[in-house]
Amino acid sequence: MEVVVLFLMVIGFLVIGVPIAIALGLSSMVFLLVLSNTSLGAIAQSLYQGMAGHYTLLAIPFFILASSFMSTGGVARRIIDFSIACVGHFPGGLAIAGVFACMMFAALSGSSPATVVAIGSIVIAGMQKVGYRKEFAAGVICNAGTLGILIPPSIVMVVYAAATDVSVGRMFLAGVIPGLLAGGMLMTAIYIYARVKDLPRGEWKGFGEVLETGAKAGWGLFLIVIILGGIYGGIFTPTEAAAVAAVYAFLVANFIYRDMGPLKAHEDDPTRTPLPLYRKPYALVTAFFHDDTRRTLFESGKLTVTLMFIIANALILKHVLTDEQIPQQIAAAMLDAGFGPVMFLVMVNVILLIGGQFMEPSGLIVIVAPLVFPIAIELGIDPIHLGIIMVVNMEIGMITPPVGLNLFVTSGVAGMSLMGVVRAALPWMGVLFVFLIMVTYIPALSTWLPTTMMGPEIIIR
Amino acid sequence: ACDPGEMIIKFSHVTNSDNHPKGIAANLFAQRVNDEMNGTACMEVYPNSTLYTDEQVIEAMLRGDVQFGAPSLSLFESITKQFRIFDLPFMFKNLEAVDAFQASEVGTQIKEGMVRRGVLGLEFWHNGMKQISANKPLLMPEDASGLKFRVQPSDVLVAQMEALNASAQPMAFAEVYGALQTGVVDGQENSWANIYGQKFFEVQDGITETNHGIIDYLVITSVDWWEGLDAPVRDQLRTILAEVTDARNAEVAAVDANARQLILDAGGTIRELTDEQRAAWVAAMKPVWTQFEEEVGAENIAAAQAINEQF
Amino acid sequence: MSASGAYEPRTALGRFVHSFEETAIAVMLGLMTLITFVNVVLRYGFNSSLIWGLEVVLILFAWLVLLGMSYAVKVSAHLGVDAVTALLPPDARRAVALLAAVACLAYAGLLLKGAWDYWAPFAALPETTGRWFPTGLNENTRIRSFFETDQVPMPGFLRFLEDAINEGDRYSKLPRVVPYTMLPIAAALLLYRLVEATIDIWNGRRNSLIVSHEVGDALDELARQDGR
Ligand code: NA
Ligand code: NA
Repeated sequence: MEVVVLFLMVIGFLVIGVPIAIALGLSSMVFLLVLSNTSLGAIAQSLYQGMAGHYTLLAIPFFILASSFMSTGGVARRIIDFSIACVGHFPGGLAIAGVFACMMFAALSGSSPATVVAIGSIVIAGMQKVGYRKEFAAGVICNAGTLGILIPPSIVMVVYAAATDVSVGRMFLAGVIPGLLAGGMLMTAIYIYARVKDLPRGEWKGFGEVLETGAKAGWGLFLIVIILGGIYGGIFTPTEAAAVAAVYAFLVANFIYRDMGPLKAHEDDPTRTPLPLYRKPYALVTAFFHDDTRRTLFESGKLTVTLMFIIANALILKHVLTDEQIPQQIAAAMLDAGFGPVMFLVMVNVILLIGGQFMEPSGLIVIVAPLVFPIAIELGIDPIHLGIIMVVNMEIGMITPPVGLNLFVTSGVAGMSLMGVVRAALPWMGVLFVFLIMVTYIPALSTWLPTTMMGPEIIIR
Repeated sequence: ACDPGEMIIKFSHVTNSDNHPKGIAANLFAQRVNDEMNGTACMEVYPNSTLYTDEQVIEAMLRGDVQFGAPSLSLFESITKQFRIFDLPFMFKNLEAVDAFQASEVGTQIKEGMVRRGVLGLEFWHNGMKQISANKPLLMPEDASGLKFRVQPSDVLVAQMEALNASAQPMAFAEVYGALQTGVVDGQENSWANIYGQKFFEVQDGITETNHGIIDYLVITSVDWWEGLDAPVRDQLRTILAEVTDARNAEVAAVDANARQLILDAGGTIRELTDEQRAAWVAAMKPVWTQFEEEVGAENIAAAQAINEQF
Repeated sequence: MSASGAYEPRTALGRFVHSFEETAIAVMLGLMTLITFVNVVLRYGFNSSLIWGLEVVLILFAWLVLLGMSYAVKVSAHLGVDAVTALLPPDARRAVALLAAVACLAYAGLLLKGAWDYWAPFAALPETTGRWFPTGLNENTRIRSFFETDQVPMPGFLRFLEDAINEGDRYSKLPRVVPYTMLPIAAALLLYRLVEATIDIWNGRRNSLIVSHEVGDALDELARQDGR
C-alpha cells in the first residue's frame, strides 16, 4: 500500500514539472522520514556512493565522451558515406543506408539519442534532398537510433549490470544478435515499403567506392575492434574499454580526421584541407588544451551530470525500497499469485512500457531491476535474457511520448514538432514491437552468444 | 515482516545467504532472534550488498542506520592498524590457531581497540584459509613472478604480492570472474568457499593449496546502540550470537572441505605443496612482516606466533 | 557556449563562476579518462598500476556529478516531463512551476541537512539534531575523522588536518573527510541555484526548472555543427 503512495508521489512531482532526479529523490526522502528510522545522512551517503561506490557506472561518462568525440570529429559523416556506398542502390536505399549507419554508430556509441543526433543530423536532411518526405526520414532514423542501446556498447546495459551484479561483458555480447536482427528487420521493412511505394534509389558506384569510403570510415570503425577485442581479449575491463575508446576517439578526431582541434582546416580555406601534423607538431600538446577538446569534454560532462543525477536518485529510491523490504514483499505476492514465467514476462513488459512513458531509461532500470530480478531468478529466467528484454522495452520507451529522448532529439534534428515525430515514428515502431515479442519468448536470441563464448551464466543468490 | 512494538534490528552484509558461511550464519542469527525474542526484537537481514557494502556499513552503523554488520577484517585497518596482523601472510597455520589467538588476551585487546571509535566487535566469523590461483601452475613463488593478481584493497596484500614480484591490481569483486576469464588479471587469492562460490576455478589453470592467509569477519555493532539497550535484551542478543558463532564456526572446516571437494568434482585442478615448496613460499612472503611490524606491534606478532606454535 | 541554452551570466562575477564551473566539469572528466587510460597502459605495458587510480577516479566521478547538479539547475539542463504543463494557460503554468520549485527547494533543504549530518562527524564537527529540520547540534556526536580512504596517499599539504581534526594522530592515507567535503558544498550550491531559479520564475524571467523540448539541446547541437 505504502509503495503505491510512493509511486503516485513520484508521478505527481513529474507531472508538475519537477526534474526527474528530484522527483525520485524527494519522494524517497519523504517516504523514508515518515516510515522508517533511517536518517537523512543515509540519503547523502547514498547520493555520494551512487557514483563513488559503483565502479561499473564509470563506463557511462567514458562512453558518452567517446561518442561525443566521434560525432564532432567527423566519424559519423564517414560512416554514412560508407553505408550509402554499400546499400544506397537498393529501393529506399538512403533510408536503408541510414539504418545501416545507425547500426554502425551504435556499435561505437552507448546511447540512443547520441546515435540519432550523430546520424540523423546528416541523413535526414540528405534524404529530403533526394526526394524523401521528411516524416518518413525522421520516423526511420528515430527508430533506428534506438539500436544505440541494444548494439554494444550500451549505457543502459551498464546500468542493468550495475543494478543486478551481472557481468557487463556478458550483457554486451548478449546484445549483438538481437541488435543485428532488429536492424535487419527494420531494413527489410523499409525495403518492402520502398518496393510498394516506389521510393527513390541511389546508383551503384562499384566496389571501388565501397572500399574507398570503407577505408575512410575504417579509423572510426576500428573502435569496434578495440572495444570488443579489448574486453574479450583480456586487455581491459568494460569500464576501462570505455576510457580507452574515449582516448582513441580523441586521437582519431584530432590527428587523423582533423575535423576538430588544432589541425582543423581554416575557416577561409575553400578546399577545407586540414593541416598536416609536421606543419604544427606542437599540436600533439595543444590538442589536449584546445577549445574544441575543452568544449567536447564539457558537453560530455554536462550530459553525464544530468544522466547520473537521475541514476543516483534512482539509486536512493532503490535504497529506500530495499530498506523497507519492498522487493521481497512484491516477489512474495507475485509468487503467491502463482505467476509462471510467461505471465511474469508479460507483466515486466507492461510495467516497463508504462514506466517508459514517464521515465528516463537508466533511472527506470535502476528502480525496476531490483523489484523483478529476484522473482525472475526464482522462476528460472536467465538474468541476461531479462536484461535484454528490459533494454528492448527501453528502446520502445524512447520513441513513445511524453518522455522519449529519441523523440526530443529527432524533433530537434529534423525541425519537426514533437507530435509530428510521434506520428512519423509510429508505423516503424510496429517492427520493434514484433521484435520485442520475439526477444521475450526466444531466450536463445540473447543467451546463445554469451553462453557460447563465456560459458553458462553463474547464478548465486 | 516485523510486528508493531518490536525493536527493529538491521543486519547488512555483502554475500549470498544460501551458500556463503557469513550469509548462512547471519540468517541463523536472525532466525533465532526472531523466534526467541518474538515481541521484543525483530531482526531483518539485508544480504548481497543490497543495503550497504562493507566499505559503507561501518559508517552507516555509527550513524545508527543499521545495527549489525560483519565486514571482512581488512576493512578495520582504517580504524586500527593492529588489524593488519590478520592479513600478514603465513601468520597462522590453520583456523584453530586463528581461533586461539582471537580468544587470547592480545586478540581481545585488538578487537576492543575500536571501542574508543564507537565500534564494538562482538564475535569473529570464519570463512577459511586463503589459497592462491592463476592462469598458470603455481608451485614455487617464482611462478607468480610477473603476474597480475587481484587483491582486496589493503596495503599488506599489495606488499605481499610485491614480495612475489607480482603486481597487485585493484578491482571490484563483481568484475573478477570476467577479468580472470579474459586475462585482464592473471590470478587471485581466496578461500575455498569463495573460489567455489564465484566459480573462479573454471577460469584458472589451477588452485595452489597454500593456506597462506585467512579470510575472516568480525560481527560489529555500535557502542552507543549496544549500551542503550536494556540489559536483559543485550544479554540475550549476546548469548544467541555467541551460540550461533560457535555452531557456525564449528562447521566452517567442513564447509571448506566440501567446497574443495566440489571444485575437484567439477573438474578443477588443486595443487598441494611439498614441504620444501611451502618453505619457499613462506621465505618469499614472510619479509612482509617487518614492513608492518611497527604498526601491528612486534609484541602482538610474537604473541600470535607463540599461540601458533601450539598447533 | 551553445548548449547552455539561453543562459547568459549577467555580471562579471557571474561570468567568472560560469567559466569556472564549465572548466571544472571538463577538467574532472578529462582527468578521470586519463587516469583510467594510464592505468590500462601501465598494467598492459609495464605490469604495474597506480594503486590509488581507481579510487581517485571514483572520487572525481562523484565530485563531477555533485558539482554539476547545481550548474545544471542554473542552465536548465535537468530532464523532466513538460508534456502536461505545456497544455496549461500561462498563468496556471507559472503557478505550477512555482509549486515544482517549492518541491525542489524542499529536496535541496533536506539534502543539505543530510549532507551536513553525513559529513560533519568526519570533520570532527557535530551533527544536527532533528529528523526533518535541524533543531540544534548534537553534542554527543561520534567523531569519525579517523576514517581514511583505502588507497589514496596523504598529500603533505593536508598534514595540518592531523592536528586540526584527528587529535594529532597521523594519517597514513587521505582521510575520508576530504572527498566527502564536496557533499555539503554541492548541496548548499544546489539550494542556492534553486532559490535563484524560484525567484526568476516568480518574476517571470524563467518558465520552468527543466530543459524545454521545444528548443532542446539537439537544435543547438545541429546549429553548432552547421556552423563549422
Ligand atoms: Na551501442
Ligand atoms: Na517514453
